[in-house]
Amino acid sequence: MTVTTAAYYFEDIEPGLVVEHRRGHSVCTADNQLLSLLTMNTAQTHFNRDSLSSYMDGAFPEPLLNACVALALAVGLTTDDLSANALADLGYAEFRMPAPVFVGDSLYAASEVVEVADVPDRADAGGVTYRITARCGDTTVLTVRRHVLIKRRSHWLARDEEFLRAVHAAGTALLGRG
Amino acid sequence: MTTSPISPTSAVPAAGRTAGPYHYEDFEPGRLFAHHWGRTLTEADAVLFATQTHQYQPALFNAAYAAHLGHRDRPVSELLTFSVVLGLSVADLTESGGPFLGADEMSFGVPVYVGDTLDATSVVVSRRESGSRPGWGVVRWRTVGTNQHGDMVVHYQRSSLVRRRPEETGADT
Repeated sequence: MTVTTAAYYFEDIEPGLVVEHRRGHSVCTADNQLLSLLTMNTAQTHFNRDSLSSYMDGAFPEPLLNACVALALAVGLTTDDLSANALADLGYAEFRMPAPVFVGDSLYAASEVVEVADVPDRADAGGVTYRITARCGDTTVLTVRRHVLIKRRSHWLARDEEFLRAVHAAGTALLGRG
Repeated sequence: MTTSPISPTSAVPAAGRTAGPYHYEDFEPGRLFAHHWGRTLTEADAVLFATQTHQYQPALFNAAYAAHLGHRDRPVSELLTFSVVLGLSVADLTESGGPFLGADEMSFGVPVYVGDTLDATSVVVSRRESGSRPGWGVVRWRTVGTNQHGDMVVHYQRSSLVRRRPEETGADT
């Protein structure tokens, strides 16, 4: 059986691994306005154009993308490649936004693995630290260091394959290949 | 560190006025803020946020897979937890306007599940006047998010450019 994009396990990830993530994301009003309001963020720069004229002396012509949403999008663009086998986020550090992001901008992300390490009391998983850089065109708009707990192949592969077989058993049978 | 009495969001305003946001002068180091509202996370929140931001970690949108990983319920993205806790703090800390300068030392506590209720509390860590922008300062806060059992779910520090209180010219900001 062919499996969509075999996900990395902890053992597959080494320091120095660089990934240019394939998909991009054009920021839309829903990303900014809906997700800002969904998350109780009351900064008007994300949802009231009139507020921009008195914000930073009118320096920004368009609503600014909420930094939390920018972070989620940048991290999200890396997940299919690097953390589909994540068990939990352990932390983030050095989160900066060197340039603003506006609705209509297309975000892309690249990652570089900085460190892989054992995590105390977790024989089944290891910690991966990677640096994410998100850009719009040639402009770097976001940088952050992510620390994430990733499954070990040694502990999870057999169980994951069994899960995959189970959820596809009915479909396989219906295609006459069971 | 000296601990000041805790400040609830937005002191009761004078009749006919909305309480203004806090400014640079209000952020004495050590001052505590008990942020307003709280937020119960629903399944719609969890799945909308995860899918809209490409969080392709299947436990966030697949109940059978979440059970396979050993979760008792659908877990919520740590980035949704962070976003809600920060969002709840905005009215007190940064609604007076000023760009986000950064967040550091973010780490997570107990997992958050659909149905949990989050609250946010912050303390002022430090402040300094801006050398390049008269009328503005840089403030750093530590914020902690907790669930309905009082367990820590996230904590982090963040910094922002914060406006000094405008002169009482009648012009409202």
